Amino acid sequence: MIDYLYDGSFDGLLTAVYASYYEEKAQGIFPQAAYQNNFFVPSRTVETDLVKAEKVYHAIERKISDLSLKHIFYTYLSNEANKETKILNYLQLGFKLGRQIDDLHAQPEVLPIRQTARKVSFEAERFLGLLRFKDTGSFLYAVLEPDHHILILLADHFADRLAQERFIIHDRKRGLAVVSNCQDWYITDFPEEIGFTYSEQEKDYQELWRLYFSQISIENRKNKKLQTQFVPHRYRRHLTEFTTGYSDKNIN
Amino acid sequence: MVMGTLDKLAILADGAKYDVSCASSGVEKKNKGGIGNSKAFGICHTWSADGRCVSLLKILMTNYCIYNCTYCVNRNQNDIPRASFTPREIADLAIGFYRRNYIEGLFLSSGIEHSPNKTMERIYQVLDILRNEYHFFGYIHVKVIPGADPVLVKKTGLLADRMSVNIEQPSEQSLKLLAPQKSLPAVLAPMNQISDHILQNASERRLYRHAQKNKFVPAGQSTQMIVGASNDSDRVIVKASEALYQRFQLKRVYYSAYIPVNDSPLLPALTTAPPLLREHRLYQADWLMRFYQFQADEIVDERTPFLETDFDPKISWAFRNMHLFPMEINRASYEELLRVPGIGLISAQRIISQRRVAAISYDHLKKIGVSLKRARYFITCQGHYYGAIPVEAGLIRRALAPVQKPVQLTLF
Repeated sequence: MIDYLYDGSFDGLLTAVYASYYEEKAQGIFPQAAYQNNFFVPSRTVETDLVKAEKVYHAIERKISDLSLKHIFYTYLSNEANKETKILNYLQLGFKLGRQIDDLHAQPEVLPIRQTARKVSFEAERFLGLLRFKDTGSFLYAVLEPDHHILILLADHFADRLAQERFIIHDRKRGLAVVSNCQDWYITDFPEEIGFTYSEQEKDYQELWRLYFSQISIENRKNKKLQTQFVPHRYRRHLTEFTTGYSDKNIN
Repeated sequence: MVMGTLDKLAILADGAKYDVSCASSGVEKKNKGGIGNSKAFGICHTWSADGRCVSLLKILMTNYCIYNCTYCVNRNQNDIPRASFTPREIADLAIGFYRRNYIEGLFLSSGIEHSPNKTMERIYQVLDILRNEYHFFGYIHVKVIPGADPVLVKKTGLLADRMSVNIEQPSEQSLKLLAPQKSLPAVLAPMNQISDHILQNASERRLYRHAQKNKFVPAGQSTQMIVGASNDSDRVIVKASEALYQRFQLKRVYYSAYIPVNDSPLLPALTTAPPLLREHRLYQADWLMRFYQFQADEIVDERTPFLETDFDPKISWAFRNMHLFPMEINRASYEELLRVPGIGLISAQRIISQRRVAAISYDHLKKIGVSLKRARYFITCQGHYYGAIPVEAGLIRRALAPVQKPVQLTLF
């Protein structure tokens, strides 16, 4: 039994799964960058191998199910601790049971994957609504700081919706961005906070939106607790309607 | 910016906020060379201070109105600031908001200025600019103005995703009392027209490939009832909803706890709090009809014309039907599982799905998402009953009764 270390990519993770089946059986899989050395379990770094990764990918699709593949990918995108080892345990059971694993919601190998995948997909769906673009004059720019790595789950939606606009969606927490130029989109490093300037018209629309947001609420039904449940405070600093002025200052 | 837009927005958003519907669901559309798309599951963009979801730019074309409905904030006799948007102003505002991802689309309603036809025509113009000039594929919900020409309603419906006519009151008597210028037939006629067009358009599209380019209101129609402005019982309301779902295939009936905006001898006093708990129970009852296969008569029968406030309508029903319980989790059908308090749609599906592979133990139920706090009195799992008290309505009621908040004693 051995701990495999991988480079943090999904292909790297699948390569480690491959190694566990064809080389030495894995005790756990960990991202190389965050691994704590353990005297009792030997460890080895796997080189990401696209051919091996693809084999595992198709094996999951064919021998388990599309649904399981989706749940595993969403779990991989999460910020959950030990997610790789949980995925490994899930796959070991999945390759034994096949499609049946999708029916075993309460199973100890299955439940954590289901719950994590649900959290990730919930946050991604939430950000389809909670993302705010600002018009710089030549492209639209949005910042977010999500709990999970959901950029890739947002890109297709906005590329279709804003097909004739150039836009950047910037995950400030991870230093990455989706960049779309009307034809296609890609994910790239975006480490620096770039100060964009905004037109008068942009400021007007922000003002109109803040006004609309305060007008639409009914005083006799005020329920701040319910509002907080839906829009947690950690998301509010990038939401136009919860910030004041144009300097993105936080009012909470 | 022209300050005019800010002032108008303040007035016309304020006048629209009592309309409850905010759904942007029910239609899946891709962007075909313009701006926007729609997701069938609907997308909420933010939540206002009252905890309500904001999905659409909900706005009135105008708050001038020739009618004088007792319960309405925009009624003719009220001395309030008035304003009107032009169709282009609304279309530009909607697109400006949409590009920035503030909203999922537009919900356009209106007071009735000059005449129903004039008003409906202006609503149509907004949709015409959005769909045919900006090539907007996002969500649009429009209010049908009762009394407008059916031709106008039809051409507007070919551009809209959802249409709604507000029935406002659940019975003819209360409508007569509170909105004397409206009548039930005048409200039901456009509803009927919309439902006919939807069916006709669907069958034409099935038969002829090029019958009609556009779908007629693909996300269906909805309506709204005010709760607590008249003396109608919950039974009258739930029965009315059931009839609307059956007769016109409505997608949704919304309930709106009456917020006193006008002083009138016919209405609850201005100090009356909106009956929010009653509204909540009605939504639960509505859910039971739409997703849990309940009939209105099962939820509120003649002997119990009002929903209980302390218990949700599903557990109330269970208390009246104790002879059906406890139910064995490993044997009950999907339909039966849906009737168990504490089991929802998802947990019922998970139970059925796991049963195909393995038996379900009591320990699994919590992981499956069943609320055992309620469910345990109504089920057995592999033959065992876990309720610890006899399966009797009175005893279970006492065990589940809401805890009274302790009142602090004052010293003096």
